[in-house]
Amino acid sequence: MKVTFKIWRQEQSDAKGALKSYEIDGLSEDMSFLEALDFLNESLVLKNEKVIAFESDCREGICGSCGVFINGRAHGPHDNMATCQVHMRSFKDGDTIVVEPWRAGAFPIVKDLVVDRSAFDRIIEQGAYITAKTGTAAEANAILIPKEVADSSMDVAACIGCGACVATCKNASAALFVSAKINHLNKLPQGQPEGHKRLLEMTTQMELENFGSCTFTAACEMECPAEISISSIAEMNARYIKAKFFG
Amino acid sequence: MTLNSKIPEGKLEDKWRNYQSESRLINPANKKNLNIIVVGSGLAGAGAAATLAELGYQVQCFCYQDSARRAHSVAAQGGINAAKNYQHDGDSVWRMFYDTLKGGDFRSREANTYRLAELSAPLIDHFVQQGVPFAREYGGVLANRSFGGVQVQRTFYARGQTGQQLLLAAYSQLSKMIRAKKVAMLPRHEVLDIVVINGKAKGVIVRELSTGQIKRFAADAVVLATGGYSRVFRLSTLAINCNGSAIWKAHKRGAFFAAPSFTQIHPTALPQTSDAQSKLTLMSESLRNDGRIWVPKKKDDKRKPIDIPEDERDYYLERRYPSFGNLAPRDIASRAAKERIDAGHGVGQLKNAVYLDFKHAITKLGKAAIEDKYGNLFTMYEKITGINAYQEPMKISPAAHFSMGGLWVDYELMTTILGLYAIGECNYSDHGANRLGANSLLQTSIDGYFILPNTINNYLEGEIGEKHPGVEHPEFAHVENEVKAHIKKILHINGNRTTDDFHRELGKVMWQECAMSRNKQGLELAILQIKEIKEQFWNDIKVTGTDTEMNPELEKALRLADFIELAILMCTDALQRDESCGAHFREEYQTEDGEAVRNDADFNFVSVWEYHAGDFKLHKEMLEFEYVKPTVRSYK
Amino acid sequence: MNLFFRKSIVAATGLFLCIFLMVHVSANIILVFPEATARSLYNAYSTTLRESMLISIVAYLLYLSIIFHVVYAGIITYKNRNSKGVQNTINHNKENSSWASQNMGVLGMLILIFIIIHLVNFWARVKLGIGETVGTDMAGNIDVYEVTFTLFHNPYYVLFYSILMLPLGFHLHHGLKSAFKTLGFYHKKGLSVLAKISLIYALILSVGFGIIPIIVYFK
Repeated sequence: MKVTFKIWRQEQSDAKGALKSYEIDGLSEDMSFLEALDFLNESLVLKNEKVIAFESDCREGICGSCGVFINGRAHGPHDNMATCQVHMRSFKDGDTIVVEPWRAGAFPIVKDLVVDRSAFDRIIEQGAYITAKTGTAAEANAILIPKEVADSSMDVAACIGCGACVATCKNASAALFVSAKINHLNKLPQGQPEGHKRLLEMTTQMELENFGSCTFTAACEMECPAEISISSIAEMNARYIKAKFFG
Repeated sequence: MTLNSKIPEGKLEDKWRNYQSESRLINPANKKNLNIIVVGSGLAGAGAAATLAELGYQVQCFCYQDSARRAHSVAAQGGINAAKNYQHDGDSVWRMFYDTLKGGDFRSREANTYRLAELSAPLIDHFVQQGVPFAREYGGVLANRSFGGVQVQRTFYARGQTGQQLLLAAYSQLSKMIRAKKVAMLPRHEVLDIVVINGKAKGVIVRELSTGQIKRFAADAVVLATGGYSRVFRLSTLAINCNGSAIWKAHKRGAFFAAPSFTQIHPTALPQTSDAQSKLTLMSESLRNDGRIWVPKKKDDKRKPIDIPEDERDYYLERRYPSFGNLAPRDIASRAAKERIDAGHGVGQLKNAVYLDFKHAITKLGKAAIEDKYGNLFTMYEKITGINAYQEPMKISPAAHFSMGGLWVDYELMTTILGLYAIGECNYSDHGANRLGANSLLQTSIDGYFILPNTINNYLEGEIGEKHPGVEHPEFAHVENEVKAHIKKILHINGNRTTDDFHRELGKVMWQECAMSRNKQGLELAILQIKEIKEQFWNDIKVTGTDTEMNPELEKALRLADFIELAILMCTDALQRDESCGAHFREEYQTEDGEAVRNDADFNFVSVWEYHAGDFKLHKEMLEFEYVKPTVRSYK
Repeated sequence: MNLFFRKSIVAATGLFLCIFLMVHVSANIILVFPEATARSLYNAYSTTLRESMLISIVAYLLYLSIIFHVVYAGIITYKNRNSKGVQNTINHNKENSSWASQNMGVLGMLILIFIIIHLVNFWARVKLGIGETVGTDMAGNIDVYEVTFTLFHNPYYVLFYSILMLPLGFHLHHGLKSAFKTLGFYHKKGLSVLAKISLIYALILSVGFGIIPIIVYFK
């Protein structure tokens, strides 16, 4: 299988970047997309060129490290799939594949396809936790949590923090990510004592990090590898209004 | 040097309590003057960093990923064991202790294993408190399921993403302490060496991956929580950047390495399809609850699986292990698969797989029930292979998965270097020669949350007056220069072969000779081959780019250089152990029907290796079984 | 003024305008009645509106709503552009989201242009008395019907009016359901019902508003 990659190359965050073309032959359909990039990188090394920097780790769609814009879509042509789960059989022999990094003001490019997503970590630091020290827990079954509550909490807790929601959003809104984390904890009885504080502090940080506001294009819902629904954002809004007006 | 495992006095069930009441304490005012470095931010690392910070220590935590949330603990699917006995099915701390000890084929310490079982129940309490959305029953209580190798239901889970949910809880607790300025988190920082001053670990040398800058960090104690090293096989279920560099460097600086060859090969991964493959994806072991494993009875059968009639299928696990059947422990299931594949019954393109069939389960329980239980796994399977497993059986294959071996640690989790601790998968502690399913999340969490924060003070109390010498100490400059020289050397070779090329070659040798089954001749040959690979690596490696920028190729090469040396030790260890135990199966030591033959008379010890100028010296930690009599580990 | 506040203003004013449009389109139906009935009924209706104190207040609310809706949507769009920064070279967002949702700003601008022209033609003449004086009908009510009737016999105006009801439809389809979500309606089944309601609402309004001038034209 032969394809032409057009890949964004950029030396460092303040350098100017551009798309660069690489023709590559000898790929197989069973290769994952990232393995095709590995393959390309190996050929670059042998040609004495610098490898293309891209991020990936677990390569099974759970760690959230990988993430690039492939042919105009976050994580490639399929819905709800991480970049590492895309395989070359999704492309045709002779295709041109354009690969760009996540684009968002809050995610500055580090190098080539690697972006800095530490804004997410800073949002998490603003309260995406339950303030309880190790060693202070009561017996687990002392807190009964209805199955539906645990399940709906798990639905949003599944977020892998890849940043596709931000990258695909025309507003670079982090609403899906932030709402997922807030709802995960605020739905559970353990998370409720600090619920309002968490909500206000995390959303404030979200704005400080220069993420845009959600206009419900729902693109994020389509690209999210964890299939988190935009109803999560609506739920965060409901919690916000409740926190502001009803204390 | 004699190995002192520091096992506390008293009855088995009192040992941990006795230890805690006797270990030294540090008052809060002193704690805030003590610095601890934690390397790795997985469940062990993040749990330890957060808990130590809560106790008042100043913590610096490093990870190579861009965020602490991405450590490979995130990928554990199945669950976490705890002796809660919520199911009222006869479970207890004792039974869990026994299962773990037996599962490990009696190659771990009783005291450690008992402590693991003892602390499992409070750990579940802890994670529930931290907001982990464990699966629940309709009445609101926690749900359980059973997992390979045991007969009770003690596994707690959060769908197929238990590891992710636990890690996110640890990461959240870590984030809380970062905000409180008690933890300095340094992502994209890879530890390249350990600084040992007067026999005590006092700091690390780190490369900032986004800039290539080499930095020094000093502390009063160093904790390694760097995970497993199964990427030595190249193809494994591990994350692509998982590595053994920090523990290997620690080993070379004096930390003994225990049972390096004990590697668990997981039976249910997806088979390799080409040389370009970078990793093997795990399919949860829970699939074996309803799926039946088989191969065609006829060798080299080219028919489609659905065209092969029942009487021409060999359900080899059910045949060989009637009482556990498809739920036989991992090492046994993997080895049985290898036996069939080697005998020419393998299926798939490369004849390297076996079938995992849900036809009978679908007929019996209905498609809806299977979909409800395993829907996400079937979807994942289809995403990767393009095959609908409701219609034809999955193809699965064994893959390197977990390192039972690791840095030798005593009861306090301290290595043989004073002030250097190893926690989680990177140590050798509780699992013996084989780890039971859902015990990994347990061990790594307990090490980080409960054990280390209780043992580290015992050492640090003695350091209060001493204070670490700081990064200006000449030893820091010395180690930093070594690291820099090492990097320069790799960059300057400018040979003809890529890192991946060498890694593939190493992986093939290791997979062939030091994986599911080993033999003397093969291991001796492997050692020679790996030495040759090492020689070639240092003459013919090609790494482009520079050391003063983000350079993923250089990172890979540095990791591989350490893997090559580690591989030699793994083979040396496998060669030395003339018995079959747990995951270590020596072909010379088996019964007529192919079962492992353990040799308690001669090998009732942990092999502990000391690095000595490129060679390895064996020490033995004798194992005493005071409470449990080792039996033949039979799952027939 | 945080991002929740700005979004809530746009959503709340948008919902208010949605209600207004519903009333407006209902009144427009009068125009398709036989001329005699239509003229007296339409003029009587508009006189009632002009003379009611309550409606005057509502009218001011309406003007304010339009202004706030436009201004805040403008601020949000500006800030969001800034948040996004560099755009992707290739973006196939049609595969993951509706065209309307990606283009609310453009759609809104078109509607704003329409509203301005619409106001100049009706509101400015009838209420402010700018331009040609409007006569009265037999009952003594200002003959708004005549104004409408004349305009709707201008083919260019009819074309302009009817075509611009398309962007209105798209804008409403995305706007209505999003406003509810912005204001915190998150019930999952409810949301799919809401999506259907939004579609039906948008269809009724754009087709309703769009077809009446054409019917009148051929009357």
